Amino acid sequence: MTEQPEYPEEYYEHLARTMGEERAEWARLPRAEREKELRWYHEHFNTPDDLALWPPEMDGGVWNP
Amino acid sequence: MAIDRAEARRGIYWIGKLLRHPPVIGRADESSNLKRVRRLARPADSVCGIGSFFPYSSEMSAPLDFLRILAERLRLAGIRFAITSGMACVHYGLQQTTKDSDWVILPEDFIRFRELLADLEREPRWRVSYRPIFGAPLESSFMMHGWTSHLLITEPDGSEQKVDLFGKPPRVRELTNDPDDPDFASREVVAQMKKTDRPRDWPMVDSLGWQSVTRSKIEAMVHLQDAVKLFSVWTQAEEVQRNTAKARRPLLGLLATDSDADRLDGFLRIERLIWECVNNERYSIYARAWKDFYRAWQKQADFVWPLEAPFAQQHEWVKSAARRLNLPPDPLGDVGREDILRKALARAKVKGMTSLENLSLVQPPLTELLP
Repeated sequence: MTEQPEYPEEYYEHLARTMGEERAEWARLPRAEREKELRWYHEHFNTPDDLALWPPEMDGGVWNP
Repeated sequence: MAIDRAEARRGIYWIGKLLRHPPVIGRADESSNLKRVRRLARPADSVCGIGSFFPYSSEMSAPLDFLRILAERLRLAGIRFAITSGMACVHYGLQQTTKDSDWVILPEDFIRFRELLADLEREPRWRVSYRPIFGAPLESSFMMHGWTSHLLITEPDGSEQKVDLFGKPPRVRELTNDPDDPDFASREVVAQMKKTDRPRDWPMVDSLGWQSVTRSKIEAMVHLQDAVKLFSVWTQAEEVQRNTAKARRPLLGLLATDSDADRLDGFLRIERLIWECVNNERYSIYARAWKDFYRAWQKQADFVWPLEAPFAQQHEWVKSAARRLNLPPDPLGDVGREDILRKALARAKVKGMTSLENLSLVQPPLTELLP
């Protein structure tokens, strides 16, 4: 992998604090790698965004898992 | 008109259940979303797969491909659009897992969009349906006033895509696109849309602010949620940039005289509480209007929903019901934005155990909260 992370290290350290290490690591990947990982999950797991029938745009989705 | 009564009954059952019992399922730890996926999910071909728990189909899908397919069709039809929300956060490297897609389409382009959907259904094995809780009909008269509309698009391979549509996204004054990939909404649009009452959305707002530092200090100052970083950008910004940002975000006025990070953090929390309360008041108005409409519709002798029919017929069906039963095109306008803000501030004062004086120091203008 030769592509450099898009943002300064300070940004990824902040992401790790606010969103977790795993998401920060994923964010460091080049875009193509990030999409590849997401595509893999879509292909191998059926993981809907949430379990609610009410769209979050209409009821806030505050408690949706 | 062919009606699948079993499907209709199923839709009515779910809507009735949800009108009685809002779906309070539990709070998720969004920071470990991917871990949650790994923990819960089973391979797609497993009979114990997570899909077996859902009322939706468990068809596999290629949501990223679908984005590009629909974007290309919109472009060819001359429809102005932007992919936003979750998929835009994937695009900006902030969200790892999402399948649904959210699209902003300029209200005046919804006629062409409906034509596009009807054309899509004329192709083999494509299917377009309103979802049981569909929001508003895809009419510019509704969409221009902040309603959302909710579709299920089935691709020829059976993949089902949940598509959510906005005409006037909340808190967004003007639709702008990412200059690096115009299929997507700009960071500014996505950050504004994420100022909700969902805790999971605020790290996105903050991160989009961080990403904006080298592109637009004004936007960075408008969206950053981290006190130390905000103060750092403020000190580097030019006077004209500060003033422009301050007009959108009065909290920035405190930075001229106060550099205490903890105190600033306290004001950031109060400001966020205002956004949360305003958003809650805002969507509650749409949800209430929709429930009133739907309950009245259920009592009609000819009521049937969902309707097993081509999309164009479904659209005429919901449009006719919405007109007949007075689903309000502009519920926010009917209530009045000042009233919504007043209620939200009263709630924020109680929730934050703070004073109206503190709230007034950081309250964003109505043009930001409810444009």
